[in-house]
Amino acid sequence: MNLGFTLSKIPIMFQASLMTIELTVVSLIAGTILAIIIAFMRISKRKIVNGIAKFYLWIFRGTPLILQLFVLYYALPSWGITLTPFVAAVIGLSLNSAAYTAEIVRGGIISISKGQYEAANVLGMSDVQTMFLIVLPQTLRNILPAMGNQFIGMLKDTSLVSTIAMVELMREAQLIGSATFKYTEVYITAALIYLLMTSIFSFIFNKLETKLSVY
Amino acid sequence: MAMMEINKLGKVFNSHKVLDDIDLNVEKGDVIAIIGPSGAGKSTFLRCLIDLERRDSGSVNIDGIELNPDDKKCVEKVQAKMGMVFQSFNLFPHMTVLKNVMIAPVRVKKAEKKEVEKKARELLKKVGLSDRVDYYPSQLSGGQQQRVAIARALAMNPELMLFDEPTSALDPELVGEVLKVMKDLADDGMTMVVVTHEMGFAREVANKVIFMEKGKIIESGTPKEIFFAPKTERTREFLKKVI
Ligand SMILES: Nc1ncnc2c1ncn2[C@@H]1O[C@H](COP(=O)(O)OP(=O)(O)O)[C@@H](O)[C@H]1O
Ligand SMILES: [Mg+2]
Repeated sequence: MNLGFTLSKIPIMFQASLMTIELTVVSLIAGTILAIIIAFMRISKRKIVNGIAKFYLWIFRGTPLILQLFVLYYALPSWGITLTPFVAAVIGLSLNSAAYTAEIVRGGIISISKGQYEAANVLGMSDVQTMFLIVLPQTLRNILPAMGNQFIGMLKDTSLVSTIAMVELMREAQLIGSATFKYTEVYITAALIYLLMTSIFSFIFNKLETKLSVY
Repeated sequence: MAMMEINKLGKVFNSHKVLDDIDLNVEKGDVIAIIGPSGAGKSTFLRCLIDLERRDSGSVNIDGIELNPDDKKCVEKVQAKMGMVFQSFNLFPHMTVLKNVMIAPVRVKKAEKKEVEKKARELLKKVGLSDRVDYYPSQLSGGQQQRVAIARALAMNPELMLFDEPTSALDPELVGEVLKVMKDLADDGMTMVVVTHEMGFAREVANKVIFMEKGKIIESGTPKEIFFAPKTERTREFLKKVI
């Protein structure tokens, strides 16, 4: 272990880890919005709508994330669609996480009792109001623990986008490693930064849960 | 003209006639208690009036408007005239007591927030919960929750209040405080239709009692008539069991 070398690389690796966080947050938000839509499609009684959602889940949960990223980044250009690494990474991560989050959201929505809908209904709320004022706020709270896991999983999954030329923490570690052959130092440093990030975000989610568990 | 006219109301669940040609007129200021065994169709009856269940036949008229379940605007208009209180309270758990009472006037009526809050606080005072406005439902007893639910319904200024066994989910020692609020409401002149097992309430507060069984109104009359001189054997049997 060369401590001086390790210390000298920490700033640049932290820099790269900011990209990891950015990818995680952006993809999780986009993925969750998409997940809510898919969850509603899954709950829908219309066979076609439901079928489309099921097909989506089948595709995105049934193939590896890395393959989805490769299709977006390497295969789409031959169809005339060229994405930057960042855009391809965000789209890939969002589409993929949406498939998993959708089932979490669906479970959360289903768990809201019929009485909540009836109370909202007799008070004159529209379906949209009932969803946004009554159902989704309760759902989001109920699924917060599962979403915490999603977030941590996503944070680690972003390392896969290093394979499509996206420079984030994993990619930076590889670049430094192959340039200096100090693999032990860089990968241990990268591991420690991942641990730091997952610990911080676990902590934040725990705090959030406690805060929201006032009711 | 009656405030609400119900004619030959029918409802079928799985080819089982749950409501069989129910006729009822509700006059302004009436407090009608509906009693009867479990499964009689009491809840279904109330729910058909406010379109939580869709009736299969007959008509429901309120203030001259016929409830047409296929016409969204009409359903809204009819629902706006009524408030409903459920056995299981159905408060919104993620909102404070005050917010629970304010949400519908603010979001549905788009009324001015300050005004709504003032009115909400008054209503909560009326149901004896001035000191609980910032609590969440889970921090309240069942009796307190049900009183919030009553205030929440009243916040929309209904002309008619429907209660579906409002005290059945409560510990016995909490029943009284809810019945008291309902009695005050009746004394204020509110028109109410109350499904209840509280025979004391039906006898003391209602001006009309209806005994339902197997989807039919078996007997109706003043509390005196129903409780002291029931005309049918079935009413007598039922009363013997519950009193
Ligand atoms: N959603 C439903 N689907 C099928 N059957 C129902 C439904 N709701 C009520 N029923 C049936 O209708 C009958 C009347 O129920 P209900 O109105 O709840 O009676 P009560 O309130 O007098 O106890 C019962 O036999 C009940 O099983
Ligand atoms: Mg019932």
